[in-house]
Amino acid sequence: MIKKAIANSMQRSPWLYHVNTGSCNGCDIELVACLTPRYDVERFGFKLAGSPRHADIVVVSGPVTSQSKERLLRTLEQVPKPYCIVTLGSCPQSGNVFKGSYSVEAPIEKFCHVDVAIAGCTVKPEAVVAGLYRATEILKAKREAMNK
Amino acid sequence: MMFPFIKEAMTNLFSRPSTENFPAQPVAAKPNYRGRISYDPEKCVNCGMCVKVCSPAAITREYKDVEGGQEITYHFDLTSCTFCGTCQDFCEEKAIVLTDDYLMFAEDPKDLIVSGTRFKEKVKGKLSCGEGCVYCGLCARNCPQNAITVDRATKTWTVDHEKCVQCGKCIEKCPKKVLSFAEPAPEGVILGPDCIYCGLCARKCPVGAITVDRPSKSWTIDREKCVQCGLCVKNCPKKTLSMGPIE
Repeated sequence: MIKKAIANSMQRSPWLYHVNTGSCNGCDIELVACLTPRYDVERFGFKLAGSPRHADIVVVSGPVTSQSKERLLRTLEQVPKPYCIVTLGSCPQSGNVFKGSYSVEAPIEKFCHVDVAIAGCTVKPEAVVAGLYRATEILKAKREAMNK
Repeated sequence: MMFPFIKEAMTNLFSRPSTENFPAQPVAAKPNYRGRISYDPEKCVNCGMCVKVCSPAAITREYKDVEGGQEITYHFDLTSCTFCGTCQDFCEEKAIVLTDDYLMFAEDPKDLIVSGTRFKEKVKGKLSCGEGCVYCGLCARNCPQNAITVDRATKTWTVDHEKCVQCGKCIEKCPKKVLSFAEPAPEGVILGPDCIYCGLCARKCPVGAITVDRPSKSWTIDREKCVQCGLCVKNCPKKTLSMGPIE
């Protein structure tokens, strides 16, 4: 029963860890805007975690620069499984206007599986809320598959 | 007053929360918001300006040869787009519109690609008979329009181009495989006699292929640059420009 209670509360409080891999800050601002009273993702239990070791959902923004690629992979290794990766904006998916640059390693799909890709440049906070909510559903399915 | 904030606290206690109840109550985007791209292949004239002006190279064009023509497909990759709206501005036919749909997220990034396909009919040239004809008359017998006449005695093969519907039956049946459609004459913009050298065509041309010099009354077109979008024809005030075969 305690296990069930823990699983239920885990489902209701997915903690976010935000990795900026060379983003222009546009998507980062929109993610932070989601935590403000106007959009208030804490209604769904989302909370920014200070360490990847506490995270359930990893939010990645930016076109994955060569400098940050190593850091991104190291961060992802520290996240306890199961976890979801959500990308913000066009940059992690394709490199956006930076594609083809010597210092850009996008797309992020080369290094890890992306669960939800939110498009936009920048993303609209409503789209972030909807995308993160979709990620919690995927996370639930992953947990159930893992506990079987 | 001892508690200057008490009035503020009381009003806030009874006022509505400032939080948007978003998933329950959908919020409309602000005017002129640039969201998901919509593409109308029926309006598109395949001038290719959107591909040219797209800064993150999110727009790609694909040609596929199918029976009787060509399929032209445009792909708009929203996972690559900056939503700058330049393609919309440059699309003279208004085939590209950035809608106010902002809910763009997908588990598979391929779902975020907007595509549209247009069928372009291939123009066939006139039917002709090549060397090696044995005047068997099979083509004439299989022609549904009776457009071909073959006279074995005089060794003549004639076709009535008015009657011919270019179905290609005769080409299929020819035992010697000498029948073929000629390559169609290259099409392009032709200048008629009523030109007043106003220069509207040159201004409307998306690729700058037309140069008009009013003092010397000259109208020139760079056939290499021309994408045959037909904008000049549409915008000619004297209706003297037309599309047709060029020498």
